[in-house]
Amino acid sequence: MKNRQIPKGLRDLLPDDVKTKRSIENKAGKTFRSYGYEEVITPAFEFLEVIETGTGRNIREDLFLFMDREGGILSLRPEITVSIARLAATHLQDAVLPQRLFYNANVFRHVQPQIAQYREFWQMGIELLGASGVWADAEVITVAVNTLREMGLQDFKISLNQIAIFNSLLDDSGIKSEDKQRIRFLLECKDLVELSNVLDGLDIDERLKETLASLPVLHGELEVLERIPYVESDRNASLAVEELRKVYDALKICGVIDNIVIDMGVLRGMDYYTGIVFEGYSPQLGYGLLGGGRYDRLMSQFGFPCPATGFAVGMERLALVMKNREQETKRFLLGGTDFQAMVKKAEELRRQGCIVEMDLEGCSKEKLETKLKTSQNCHLIYVDNSK
Amino acid sequence: MQDEYLTIALSKGNLLKPTMKLFAGIGLPVEGVSEESRSMVFSYDKENLRYLMCRPTDVPTYVEQGAADLGIVGKDVIVEQAKDVFEMADLKYSYCRFVVAGPADLKDIELKELNYKRVATKFPVVAERFFRSQGLQVEIIKLHGNIELAPLMGMADIIVDIVSTGRTLRENNLVELLTIMDSTTRLISNRVSYRTKHHRIQSLIETMQDFVRGGEVL
Repeated sequence: MKNRQIPKGLRDLLPDDVKTKRSIENKAGKTFRSYGYEEVITPAFEFLEVIETGTGRNIREDLFLFMDREGGILSLRPEITVSIARLAATHLQDAVLPQRLFYNANVFRHVQPQIAQYREFWQMGIELLGASGVWADAEVITVAVNTLREMGLQDFKISLNQIAIFNSLLDDSGIKSEDKQRIRFLLECKDLVELSNVLDGLDIDERLKETLASLPVLHGELEVLERIPYVESDRNASLAVEELRKVYDALKICGVIDNIVIDMGVLRGMDYYTGIVFEGYSPQLGYGLLGGGRYDRLMSQFGFPCPATGFAVGMERLALVMKNREQETKRFLLGGTDFQAMVKKAEELRRQGCIVEMDLEGCSKEKLETKLKTSQNCHLIYVDNSK
Repeated sequence: MQDEYLTIALSKGNLLKPTMKLFAGIGLPVEGVSEESRSMVFSYDKENLRYLMCRPTDVPTYVEQGAADLGIVGKDVIVEQAKDVFEMADLKYSYCRFVVAGPADLKDIELKELNYKRVATKFPVVAERFFRSQGLQVEIIKLHGNIELAPLMGMADIIVDIVSTGRTLRENNLVELLTIMDSTTRLISNRVSYRTKHHRIQSLIETMQDFVRGGEVL
C-alpha cells in the first residue's frame, strides 16, 4: 500500500511551514537584490555530464539519475552553482562583467535523511561572476552575513579560510601523491587522530608536519595567522595568507567583522573551490547554515574562463533557527445572515489590507465563536442587519 | 543545542570506568556518575557541564545531531557508523582490534583464499570495506552478538570481530587470521560546537591529550 506514502527523505509543507519558508525567501531575496543580484531559474535536471564536469565524479552516489529517451543520462540537480556556470557559459559570454545572479531552487541528493537533511531541499544563493580580488570576496561574505542578520539571527559565525594555504603547503611538500590523497581524505572525514598518525610517519620537515597537523584546528581572530610560521617558506601559501588577511580587513570596513572568525578547518567538500571559502554556523543548530567560496576554475570547465565566487544557504536549516517571523496580517472571520452585506463588509476590509475569511454556511454567531476558540490572531465580525 | 552548557555523551559499559578516571584526573566533576543510576543526564551547574549516559553505538548520533557537543566512544564504533563528526583526540585507553578469525584449521590460509568465504560479523561496514580493499569478494552475514557461534555451526566460514585479549576466540577454538585495524577510545566533537564553543573545547582537548601523554594508564 503505497498510495498514502511519499518517498523516503521527501516531505509535504503545510501552511505554517510555507509561511516560514516564504518569509525567509522574501528577506533573502530583498537582501540579494539590494546588492544588485538578479534572479535566474535553471532546469530541475541537467545532463549528468554537466554535473560531473563541475563537481568531479565523487558525487555520483549522491545523485538521482535517470535516462531520457535518446539514451542520455540525466541527473536531478544536486546544487545550483554548476548549473549557473553552465548557464553563464551558454548565455552570458558577451555580457558585461561582473554579473550578479541569485537563485532560489530545490536540489536533490540521495543522502540518509535526518533532521534538517532531506533528499529534496531548498537553497538560495548568489553567484558573483567575473570579479576577482578581495573586494569581491568581501562583498559575497557581507551579503551572507547580512542575509542571516535579516533573519533575526545574532550569535551566528561565519568561518573563513583560504584553501590555497593548505593546498599549497601539501602540493609543495614533496609528499607522495598517494599520501597526499590519504591526507585529504582524512581531512574530509575529519579524522584528526589518524591524520596526525599519518603525518608522524612521513619523512618531511618537522615544522611542516606540525603546521599541517595544526591547521585544521586553528581558529580565532586575525592573530591565528601568526601561528603558522612554516607558511613563510612557501610562496603560494604566503600569498594565500596575505589574501586572507586582506579579506578580513575588507570585512571590517563592511561592518560585519563581529560575525567572522578565521577557521583553517574549513576545507569545503565540493571539488571546485580555489581560494577564499566560508561556512556559517549558529549555536542553536548542529549543522552548517550556509557555505560558499571562490571557484575560479569552474567556469573554464564550461569554456568560459572567468573568476567567480558565491554562496548558498540551506532553507530548511535556516527555518529551524529563524527568529524574525513576518508580522501576521490582521485576520477576520466574517459571518452573518445577509450575503450581500457580508460581501460588502468583506471587500471593504480586504481593501484595507486585512485577510477576511467568510463563513459560507450561515452559522450562528455563537457557533462561529466556538469555532474561533482554537485559533489565534483571528477576530469574529458578525454582520447582522436585523438589529 | 544549549548555548551555555557543554554537553558530553558518555559510553556506558567498559569505557565508563577509565573515562571517569580521566575526567577525575583532569579535574572534571565525576560525583554521582553511574550507569546504575536511573537518571541519564548528570548536570553540574557550577562547571556548566552536563553528561549524557548513552549506549556506545548511540554516542556518534548524539554528537552528530548536536544533542551533545562532545562524545567519548571507541574507534570501532566510529568506523562502523561513518557519522559526520570531528575525531579530535586519541585517548588511548580500552584498546581492542578488529580481526578476521576462523577455525584453527584455517590458521595458515592465505589472504586470496578468503575469496567467496561467508563472513559473520557485527560490523558489516568494516568487514565489507576491508575485504573490498583487498580485492576480495565475500558474503557478509550480519549478526548482533555471539559471533563465534556462526563458524561453529557452519553458518559462516570466518568472522570479523573486535577482540582485546583474544580469550573468547580461544575458548571457541577460533584463531586470529589477520588484524584489520586497531581501536582505542576517541574524543569526538560536533562540527558546529567545535566552532561555536571553540575555546572551551580546544582547551579541554589539550588538557586531555596532555594527561594521556603523561602516560597514566587508564
